Amino acid sequence: MLSVLSYGRLVARAVIGGLSQTDSRDYSLVTASFGFGKDFRKGILKKGMCYGDDACFIARHRSADVLGVADGVGGWRDYGVDPSQFSGTLMRTCERLVKEGRFVPSNPVGILTTSYYELLQNKVPLLGSSTACIVVLDRQSHRLHTANLGDSGFLVVRGGEVVHRSDEQQHYFNTPFQLSIAPPEAEGSVLSDSPEAADSSSFDVQLGDIILTATDGLFDNMPDYMILQELKKLKNTNYESIQQTAKSIAEQAHILAYDPNYMSPFAQFACDNGLNVRGGKPDDITVLLSIVAEYTD
Amino acid sequence: MLTLLSMFYYICLRRRSRSGTRGEALGSRRAVELGQRSALPVTVEVEQYAKEVLDFSSHYGSENSMSYTMWNLAGAPNVYPSSGDFTQTAVFRTYGPWWEQCSSAPQPFRRTPQNFHSQDYMELAFEEPVYPTAIDVLETYHPGAIVQILACSLNPFSQNPPADVRWEVLWAGEPSKAMTPQARQFSPSIKQISFATNLLRLEVNSSVLDYYTELDAVILHGVRERPILALYKMPIIDISDLSDSDEELADPGLCCRHAGDGKHNHGNGYFDKLPYELIQLIVSHLTVPDLCRLAQSCKLLHQHCCDPLQYIQLSLQPYWPRLSDASLSHLQSRCTLLQRLNMSWTGNRGAVTPTGFSSFMKACGGNLVCLELSCCHFLSEACLEVIAQTCPRLQELNLSSCDRLHPQAFGHVAKLPRLRRLILYRTKIEQTAILSIITFCTDLRHLNLGSCVMIEDYDVVASMLSARCRSLRSLDLWRCRNLSERGLAELVAGCRLLEELDLGWCSTLQSSSGCFQLLARSLPRLRKLFLTANRTVCDSDIEELANNCPALQHLDILGTRMVSSSSLRKLLQSCSQLLLLDVSFCSQIDSRVVQELNSLFPKVAIKKSFTQ
Repeated sequence: MLSVLSYGRLVARAVIGGLSQTDSRDYSLVTASFGFGKDFRKGILKKGMCYGDDACFIARHRSADVLGVADGVGGWRDYGVDPSQFSGTLMRTCERLVKEGRFVPSNPVGILTTSYYELLQNKVPLLGSSTACIVVLDRQSHRLHTANLGDSGFLVVRGGEVVHRSDEQQHYFNTPFQLSIAPPEAEGSVLSDSPEAADSSSFDVQLGDIILTATDGLFDNMPDYMILQELKKLKNTNYESIQQTAKSIAEQAHILAYDPNYMSPFAQFACDNGLNVRGGKPDDITVLLSIVAEYTD
Repeated sequence: MLTLLSMFYYICLRRRSRSGTRGEALGSRRAVELGQRSALPVTVEVEQYAKEVLDFSSHYGSENSMSYTMWNLAGAPNVYPSSGDFTQTAVFRTYGPWWEQCSSAPQPFRRTPQNFHSQDYMELAFEEPVYPTAIDVLETYHPGAIVQILACSLNPFSQNPPADVRWEVLWAGEPSKAMTPQARQFSPSIKQISFATNLLRLEVNSSVLDYYTELDAVILHGVRERPILALYKMPIIDISDLSDSDEELADPGLCCRHAGDGKHNHGNGYFDKLPYELIQLIVSHLTVPDLCRLAQSCKLLHQHCCDPLQYIQLSLQPYWPRLSDASLSHLQSRCTLLQRLNMSWTGNRGAVTPTGFSSFMKACGGNLVCLELSCCHFLSEACLEVIAQTCPRLQELNLSSCDRLHPQAFGHVAKLPRLRRLILYRTKIEQTAILSIITFCTDLRHLNLGSCVMIEDYDVVASMLSARCRSLRSLDLWRCRNLSERGLAELVAGCRLLEELDLGWCSTLQSSSGCFQLLARSLPRLRKLFLTANRTVCDSDIEELANNCPALQHLDILGTRMVSSSSLRKLLQSCSQLLLLDVSFCSQIDSRVVQELNSLFPKVAIKKSFTQ
């Protein structure tokens, strides 16, 4: 009798042990990007991962895959400052940081902080502001670490459902948290959030998880169910299919943005805040679509 | 003859078969087959980018940053072939003649050899040791600074380093200036050496350049196997090679040729007729190695060459590869009257130990007035303690870039009350030590705290300086991160004799507080003012400088958007002694304005850097 119980215990332990056996393979992200600049720039003239005032980057390091998006605040144009300079330089600096290994995968806020500090070390007097969202996949631990400042963000989709998403950080309507460098005369009156104010999160991911990182040009025009619909069409994990899906999502958002009668999430939110608007929100759209796959060299 | 040739042919064939079996493809390197004559074996050439920057004497950027810092030299190029002032390049701290013109510059040492031009250096480690065949330096801005390339026999990544470390000069040249500031690939023809190396050292001199030189990458081409000396190409035997071992600096005392015991020495010819002082004067023109060699020639000259009066000033920096503890101990007996000693760059990788240095100091440091120890990584806290004890008369101490020195070591510097010139650029000195130094060394004239990142509160330091060091003439606070207008106001109130003030990249100073205007009004003797990358400098600051600082010679206002050409014109008119004006990245000052100002004020070098 006792031996049967102990035998049963042994078997149970072995089975449970086998089920929870950690996967020792490294994971990686297969990522494709697509986007549209607002107005005239139709996104085909992509200037090195910049779509209008948005910018993004995809970088690999030995230990991690890192992506980022930044949405340049367009209001600077009125003061003679090119908004894409700040977001573009921020993203390129983050990319360089990652490539040189000057980061810790579990601390994506650190990437933002260091990158912002490096912008201040530039002889060129950079001006402008942008939101930022950084997503880091730690290859070995299979954990996704994210940092989000502002209203760009990410979704993690598993089995056709959203399992993780970022929260928007807004000061007030249409004024997201933003990293900025202001001219000295306007220092007090320009919104400037510290990189440490970014929201961070960490969670495990599984093979086949889909991660969508985008600027608010996407989320303000396409509600979740539409995005999920598009993602259902993703059958393969190869780069071409991901590229195709990213393109179709971005295109659809672009079309909806210019539809005057469509009740976009942006319009919905505006109505909830007492502003009677309808239609899409023309904006720069940047979409980074990634799938968690096994690491291959 | 025939047997010799056939032996040679046989050896070649053996080598060829051996290298064939050992060939492997390494992912990141491109193997290029050097097609040579069929009698000689086919060798595989390997190209490598630098893997790591191990050591350097200075750089423009911040510690822990990747903008304008030396670490950018590692890896593949980021900028080349574009030209311009980019953050992703390696930039040194100084350029041109400007720093030497300042009163804070050190006096040059006598007996510096003609062919020693190096002002800065950096050491690069590569992945794999090879016999170098070519070296490419990708310079992306104002090229021409490289003056020497050396290779080391030591593998910096090996676990057990060998006892003897050899440095061989691959190429040496004069500091030059290229025709345009555009990017170029510098590939000097290098000497063949007899050992495989993966550690290179580049020495630079930017004194003839118009602006900061910027380097992007260094490529080492080499072969894995020692190239067989081609019969038609003899290696160039350099006479200076013969003295490569420590002969002259190691055993100067040995070879005294005695003419015989008891016999009076008449054999010096005319030298016997010359007065002692005249021979001393003749010998005073020799460089140190020549002096040591001459000492070995005969008894009379040995007496002259070992006379301590010849060693009142001693610069060992040009001989940094060969200096060791043994050399120091042999020089000890001659250096008892030593007043100025330059040991910058020496003793690394174990050549000089703290014990050897300490015993040298104890023997020779009693009269020391000036001690240059820049980049001396062998220094320890004990060494500084010995210096403090044995050199009570010390007035000048340079510990620039001694970044491995423990913060506690600097406490001993406070025991040198006669200090006038103190350079602590890029050291890890902390708040308590610097305050203690300022308290006791009230004679300080020149103080360099550039890039001293461990000092927490510069306002307190400035306040202390104004209270204790009232004869301060120059102060370098490059990249001090938290000096505010309060500290600056106290500083200029107390140190009225200030002539040079470097506040480059001090981002916490705001012009709106009036601190720069106060500065201009308080320092009438001001000759050098660097406000590099302080984005708040405005027209009223420039006008105050124009009104109050007629002696101004060097001004750097890089990166401000708020200075217009009219205030600059006023400045140039009032400050007739102005020689350097850096208006790079000042958005209101475009190249047309610069040209106009250049034509009106031709004496002034107006610098406008560009990125594209």
